[in-house]
Amino acid sequence: MAPKPITSPVPDAWYPTLSVFTLAIGLVLTASFFIYEATSSRKSRSLAQELTTGAVASVFLGFGSLFLLLACGVYV
Amino acid sequence: MKRGIMNFKLFLLPILFTFPFFSSPVLSASDLILSRVDRRIDLTSQIVRITTSLKVENTGSDAVSEILLSFPENLENNLAYLKATLGEGKGKAKPSAGVGLPIQAVHPKDLPPSLTIYSVSLPKGLGKGDSLTLNVLAVFTHSLQPFPQKINQADIQLLLFQDSAHYLSPYAVKVQSLTVKLPDARIESYTKLENAKLQGSELKYGPYENLPPFSYLPVVIHFENNQPFAVAKELVREIEISHWGNVQITEHYNIVHAGAQSKGEFSRLDYQTRPYLRGASAFRHLVAKLPPRAHSVYYRDEIGNISTSSLWGDSKKTELEIEPRYPMFGGWKTAFTIGYGLPLQDFLFGSDGKRFLNITFGAPINELVIDTLFVKVVLPEGSKDISVSVPFPVKQSQETKLSHLDIVGRPVVVLEKNNVVPEHNEYFQVYYKFNCLSMLRKPLMLIFGFFFLFVACIVYTHADISISKSSASYLAKLQWDEVQATIQQVHGLISRCLTAHDKLETSLHDLSRTGDVQACKATRKSVDSSLKELSKELKQPLAFLQSSPQAAQILPKVEELVAKERDLQEKLIAKHTTVVDCYEKKLGREIENRIASQQQKITALRREIDDLMDLIDEI
Repeated sequence: MAPKPITSPVPDAWYPTLSVFTLAIGLVLTASFFIYEATSSRKSRSLAQELTTGAVASVFLGFGSLFLLLACGVYV
Repeated sequence: MKRGIMNFKLFLLPILFTFPFFSSPVLSASDLILSRVDRRIDLTSQIVRITTSLKVENTGSDAVSEILLSFPENLENNLAYLKATLGEGKGKAKPSAGVGLPIQAVHPKDLPPSLTIYSVSLPKGLGKGDSLTLNVLAVFTHSLQPFPQKINQADIQLLLFQDSAHYLSPYAVKVQSLTVKLPDARIESYTKLENAKLQGSELKYGPYENLPPFSYLPVVIHFENNQPFAVAKELVREIEISHWGNVQITEHYNIVHAGAQSKGEFSRLDYQTRPYLRGASAFRHLVAKLPPRAHSVYYRDEIGNISTSSLWGDSKKTELEIEPRYPMFGGWKTAFTIGYGLPLQDFLFGSDGKRFLNITFGAPINELVIDTLFVKVVLPEGSKDISVSVPFPVKQSQETKLSHLDIVGRPVVVLEKNNVVPEHNEYFQVYYKFNCLSMLRKPLMLIFGFFFLFVACIVYTHADISISKSSASYLAKLQWDEVQATIQQVHGLISRCLTAHDKLETSLHDLSRTGDVQACKATRKSVDSSLKELSKELKQPLAFLQSSPQAAQILPKVEELVAKERDLQEKLIAKHTTVVDCYEKKLGREIENRIASQQQKITALRREIDDLMDLIDEI
């Protein structure tokens, strides 16, 4: 089997765009998380909703910051 | 100068005395004869390259499978690279082309220890009477001695080179000649033998005929050479692979000008006004030939960025010209770092479930001699089964490196080699196994980092961290929290009521379209029961609000809301009954008139309720 060149899973040129979009989504979700935290009272808060919003926001923020690092030239 | 010549005559005396001793026929086991030897010594740079083309003939009766090459000890210590290839027919092929034959150092007992012998294994034995052409390239470093050893800023750099006019070989040589290529500059002196000829910048010795084994005739050439004598005392090349699409190369240079030492003072003014007269021996820039598509190139040292560099490139290469902070005179040192990124797909390949990096070994800088070269290949975290294949012997070791977002560190393959010349810029391979899922480690770390932050926020808002649990303000806060929760509960219940109302309205709408009275009645029943339940549920929070002193302010609004909702509910049910009645009695035309007034009130009430809901929601 002839050697095949290995490429990155996502083309390099997409990193800046991807980072902008994923970070934007992540930040919006973070905002909604904190709005929920601040507006709902302690009794009426639902833990499941908090955790889901937090988890989804952290997935987007995690990938967004990874792409931001890659776009900046910090190849992790 | 006269004293100088005396000096090196003295220096040569021991050699002159020792070599006649070798001429005795000590090696007679072999029946090989060199029928023709052409040697070409290139002295145009700091690196001495000796290309030898040997025509070997077997006069004995047994087949011979190896040929011996010998080097005097003083040269051998500086031997950096040795390659032998089989010549194609006429022997005009370049020694650098083609696959090298296996070479190994041997120590035959009957040879003097001051000679180093290398044995070249032939792919197939040389039979009786056969002949072949062998091209040998030997590269030596530090073999040009500056003489005088110390010069002023304005002096030119003179060098001394010694070798033998006869080819030093364990075999008898029939015909041989030597050509020395010198730089286009002054030639101070050379050993004038009988048939020595100087043509332009080429010095020719020979031809000599029918010389016995181990003939040695020392020659010394004293000439001017102002080429850069850039020697990297130590070079650390770090090659870091990221599967996210980059091979990052960082090279830490520690360069010294290894030519004639500079003495006296250095005048920047003199240098600046006439750099080629008052600083001929200095070099001011170095050129690095980087691979194509190199990006993010930087050139800096401990202080920071060095701005004197230029970069240009095409599809075949990228060239980086760097200028150290000061012109480099003999003995002067500089240390700097070059870094650049390369696209992953040009250097990393996969085959048979393994991945391998295929990249050049040596430094990219032209004509650079490296005393100690460390090549560190930093593989991604999670690489396993690492193996290295290098075309020449190197010292190997492993270490780990902690870098961005690492937990256990990345495996690093360290290759160490002394005396490296540009000829060592060959491709080498580092094989390793890597699971694609390991790539997700970094994003997962980031994700868990952020998630931890959110969890911390959740814990903070849920935890009760007040110190005094019995203070008035704390109790008031607790009560207020409860009031808030109750109001939200009420709000939720009322909005469910409003949804139920909407359901009623929709059922009426459907009725006007389909005329299905039964369906409409069924909806009414279910809505009625749910409304009843809701009003039951409302009782408890309302009672709580009425009893709580904290809710005194908001209570009237809540009560108003509840009352209005009940009102609306009644009106809606009345309207519903009317409409259904009309349908049952087939009074289609009168519906509009009958419910017109009710409809107005309903709309007004609905608006008021909505306003109240918004008001309560803001608390």
